[in-house]
Amino acid sequence: MVEFKDVSVTYSSSGVDALNNVNLKINDGDFAFVVGPSGAGKSTLIKLVLKEIDATSGTVLVNGFNLKKLRRGKIPALRRTIGVVFQDFRLIPTMTVYENVAFVLRVIDAPAKYIRSRVPYVISLVGLSKKAKCYPTELSGGEQQRVALARALVNDPKLIIADEPTGNIDPELSYEIVELLKGINECGTTILMVTHEHDLVRYFGGRIININKGSIAFDEVIGGSNESK
Amino acid sequence: MKASSAKYLVGQGFKGIWKNKMMTFASFCILLVSLLMVGISCLTAISLTRVIGGIEDQSEIVVIVKDGASDSDMAALEEKLHSIPNVNTVSLYTKEEAWQNMLKGMTEEEKDFFQYADDNPLPDTYKLTVKDIQIMNDTTTQIETFDFVESTQSPTAFADILINIRRIFSIVAFAVVLALVVVSLIIISNTTRASVFARRKEINIMKYVGATNSFIRIPFFIEGMIVGVAAAGCALLLTKFAYEGVYNIFNDTFGIWSILGMQNLYSFDDLLLPVSVSYLVAGALIGAVGTSISTGKHLRV
Ligand SMILES: Nc1ncnc2c1ncn2[C@@H]1O[C@H](COP(=O)(O)OP(=O)(O)OP(=O)(O)O)[C@@H](O)[C@H]1O
Ligand SMILES: [Mg+2]
Repeated sequence: MVEFKDVSVTYSSSGVDALNNVNLKINDGDFAFVVGPSGAGKSTLIKLVLKEIDATSGTVLVNGFNLKKLRRGKIPALRRTIGVVFQDFRLIPTMTVYENVAFVLRVIDAPAKYIRSRVPYVISLVGLSKKAKCYPTELSGGEQQRVALARALVNDPKLIIADEPTGNIDPELSYEIVELLKGINECGTTILMVTHEHDLVRYFGGRIININKGSIAFDEVIGGSNESK
Repeated sequence: MKASSAKYLVGQGFKGIWKNKMMTFASFCILLVSLLMVGISCLTAISLTRVIGGIEDQSEIVVIVKDGASDSDMAALEEKLHSIPNVNTVSLYTKEEAWQNMLKGMTEEEKDFFQYADDNPLPDTYKLTVKDIQIMNDTTTQIETFDFVESTQSPTAFADILINIRRIFSIVAFAVVLALVVVSLIIISNTTRASVFARRKEINIMKYVGATNSFIRIPFFIEGMIVGVAAAGCALLLTKFAYEGVYNIFNDTFGIWSILGMQNLYSFDDLLLPVSVSYLVAGALIGAVGTSISTGKHLRV
């Protein structure tokens, strides 16, 4: 669960008010798109959830953690409940697909036996079992993003946040990625996805949070065109 | 932590060394040089102290007693000598003993000549050993003011030279050691910085998926320790060769050196344990501290 209460963010370096008095609640199991023009504050919202930055004022609650009170040393505990997908994939080029995914479990000190069974399973979920031994450079953009998705999924997070996960891949392949996220959401994981692609949002529908100039301009559930087919 | 994780972390440490071959090699070299300089300085200081200690034990102040002092005068003088804090032992060397000793050293002819000399021309003397050779000069000056003291003889000049050498050497060695430790730390922390930079993407992802800072740091820490231990091992071997070379010079060619007390030097085997332990500890410590300095700053994501 993610909850924002009167959250404002002012970047001290630039003096920009990136978010103004944002109130927002995303319940467990929700799927929400976050849309809005460039510079609206969408990535700022994501950074708050990950505690990369702190709110200038207001309260942010994520998966039972009150981020204002969370000490630095506890940030890893917070992040272990969240999976992240970025626009630029951020795969490690010197590691194979398998290693890129297994790496996450290693750094959180998971048992070797669990890693051996969990990683192939997650890779099969995103349909890349045949490419498990490939390096990221040998994959297409869509495939790389699926690896990133597998990596976000592997430690079974409660929440997945994706900042423009389809921004660097062909529009046709974008649908594939969102389909995968929808499938993950159906298994109970909360999903927060930032996107610029209005076609995608219109197609899938669901909860749309529109941010403009640091404020929520619009937060409603709309029907998707795919459902009317 | 699980064994598999430990294995992973150590593996990462070794990988880091390989990925940053050049910089790691630079760290290794500077550490090796530093350890060598530090080690040789310490060994020289230890040896100097040992040699000076030997001279301290041997070097005596000879107090020559005025002719005609009575037994009670002698007893009073002896008591006064004992009461000087720097005096370690006092032994009386009577004119008779001196005479007998002198006769022993003579050829038969010389003995014949002196045997019938009616008067013993030698004085009574006291031989003193001191606790601290550095203030021997003051001690002799004090003794010369006592009643019934004719004069004193002491090897103060030689002691002064040695003491000066030791003092200057200590200052220089300390400065060199300090400079090298600082330089090593800087170079190693820069190596780590390069190593961290090369792996910044990986570290960034580790932070996002909830790796703890210590988990991220351990491979770099291990990297530093491995370099430190390797440098210590090489430094130990080189020190052994160098030390034994010098040791053999002083021990094979006795003569002049034994006068200086050089035969008292420790053999390298006596020093092996403390030297190797200090090298390992210093190498590992400098390596580890050097890496910690730079990883700390880079982990604030
Ligand atoms: N680290 C930063 N320091 C200073 N100002 C920042 C920083 N990050 C973002 N900003 C400013 O805050 C505002 C919101 O930025 P944010 O990245 O949240 O926008 P966004 O909605 O994600 O835009 P985009 O769609 O282009 O990614 C912008 O005006 C931006 O210039
Ligand atoms: Mg953004």
